Amino acid sequence: MTKGNDLTFQPFNDSTTGKLHRAFSFSRVLAITSNTLTELTRLRVFYVLLVFGLLLIGSSVFMAQFSFQQEFQILKDVSLGAISIFTSLLAIVATARLLPQDIEDRTVYTILAKPVPRFEYVLGKIAGVLLLLAISTLVMSAAFLAVLYLREQTVIQTTLKQLAGAPADQVNEALKLIRSSAFNIDIFPGIIIIYLKACLLAALTLFVSTFATTNIFTIVVMAFIYFIGHLEATAREYWLQEHSSGLLTRIFLAIIALLFPDLQAFNLVDDIVAGTAISMAVFAKTALLGIFYTTIYTLLAAFIFYGREL
Amino acid sequence: MTDSPRRSPTEAGPAVAVHGLTKVFRVPLHPSRGIVAVKELNLRIEAGEVFGLLGPNGSGKSTTLKIILGLVSPTRGRTEIFGRDSRLVESREAVGFLPENPYFYKYLSGEETLRFFGRLCGLRGAPLKKQINELLDLVGLTKARKRRLGTYSKGMLQRIGLAQALIHNPRLVVLDEPTAGVDPAGSREIRDLILDLKSRGITVLLSSHLLAQAQEICDRVGILSDGVLVREGRLQELIAIENQTELVIADASTHLVNEIESVINRSKAKLIECRKSTTTLERLFLEATAKNDEARASDDQGIAKQKP
Repeated sequence: MTKGNDLTFQPFNDSTTGKLHRAFSFSRVLAITSNTLTELTRLRVFYVLLVFGLLLIGSSVFMAQFSFQQEFQILKDVSLGAISIFTSLLAIVATARLLPQDIEDRTVYTILAKPVPRFEYVLGKIAGVLLLLAISTLVMSAAFLAVLYLREQTVIQTTLKQLAGAPADQVNEALKLIRSSAFNIDIFPGIIIIYLKACLLAALTLFVSTFATTNIFTIVVMAFIYFIGHLEATAREYWLQEHSSGLLTRIFLAIIALLFPDLQAFNLVDDIVAGTAISMAVFAKTALLGIFYTTIYTLLAAFIFYGREL
Repeated sequence: MTDSPRRSPTEAGPAVAVHGLTKVFRVPLHPSRGIVAVKELNLRIEAGEVFGLLGPNGSGKSTTLKIILGLVSPTRGRTEIFGRDSRLVESREAVGFLPENPYFYKYLSGEETLRFFGRLCGLRGAPLKKQINELLDLVGLTKARKRRLGTYSKGMLQRIGLAQALIHNPRLVVLDEPTAGVDPAGSREIRDLILDLKSRGITVLLSSHLLAQAQEICDRVGILSDGVLVREGRLQELIAIENQTELVIADASTHLVNEIESVINRSKAKLIECRKSTTTLERLFLEATAKNDEARASDDQGIAKQKP
């Protein structure tokens, strides 16, 4: 080891960091975010899930083909379903390990022993996961759109061959029908909602992991929440049919809705597949709901972690 | 941490001040019962000294350090770092911490690890790069800077841990069992580094149960037992035996030794022991392994010269 007499290393002074401590520092959050993203992208589970998602999207090409409308419907149904399931799985699995792992490995001590507020630590961690989910959603969506485009082109070529010599109006009509069956603009808001649902699940997982003692506990709790969240709307309708919608009932249902977000509300895939237009109001309402839940659960996670003994 | 801390207007005063600190850990499902980890602890560590917090396992050393660093909240009492309440995040600007058996992110290299911790401390660009180079040099890891931490030995991890603790040039360095699990050579390197920090005016607070090592480097020590500070003071004063005196003589003849013995016998004093001075087992180990390394290196050179 160097004795260090020739080094300029000196004890702390104000010129070292150059400025006074700031209550919130974007660069500190960014450091934790980029480190979290590096950590997650070096996990095997990320690649396994991504590859499975891409394989499912790719294989949807070979599924039942009665007519091109049915083919495009199945392609969209399977692909958007795959994106939704794999981003949700990734959100839960990737987030569940973040805090418990850092606490178990004691890396959290070295981070929080620096001038880093706990809120920034939690924010940096969740931002890293949201970035990873955005990358995964983009990659899978790009694969899905590429497959859809290639199939559309194949169908167009086949149709052009079949309609060789037919009147131009008939050809144009056929091509218009193919294009409208393949692409509709609602695919994009649908993908954004799928991403927001994954963000919500990541924030909820982070919240659960702040008081959980193991990763397995967090994943099991999240699996329950996932299923309850998807069945909740049906159960609520049944409850309201059976019981009067009094004040107590409504308060009870509101508490349930806060604890278990209605994940079925984020399922716009059926509408996209059926070709039903997603209204701007529905999109905005669902997107706001996703952002609201993600923010609330992140704040709750930060609050619980703030008071936690390490 | 959870309470709103009292702000101190200045940074003057001791490096660390602990006032009436008590920590009781609640037992789950038994709110009335609790485990007392630290009890009414008062401590004052002056700037520039090396202070050793000693005690057996479970005596409350790590809990005390964690409270000083704001990682755990006290049940009663308070701690300050350079006059700032240690529950304030900004009090940690002046502190570097190396936890016991640290595990850093295995997927990062030594250089990336220091860059990450540097960015957390608000460093960036050329000053951060310069600091990383200096610290890697200081802890002897320049050659291993690009290697992932997953491939580092225990001693190397401890040294990169020290480097991250020093990344923002702290005035106080807190080391929790800094040589736990490190071999004698690595342990000596860390000890030398602590002495080097002291020579630069950095205050060092370390916890250890390796007493011989603490004896070599600490100016003052505090001994904790079951969360209670049972001894505290300057090391030399604490370990001195008031009614005994040691003479260490080089090249003394048998005649001279006999003369001294007879003088002692004629007086009211009593000779307790007369023996050859000994080296320490650690020094013997280091000399033996160093000679072995030198012999191996010269053998390697000889073989290399014989090759065409």
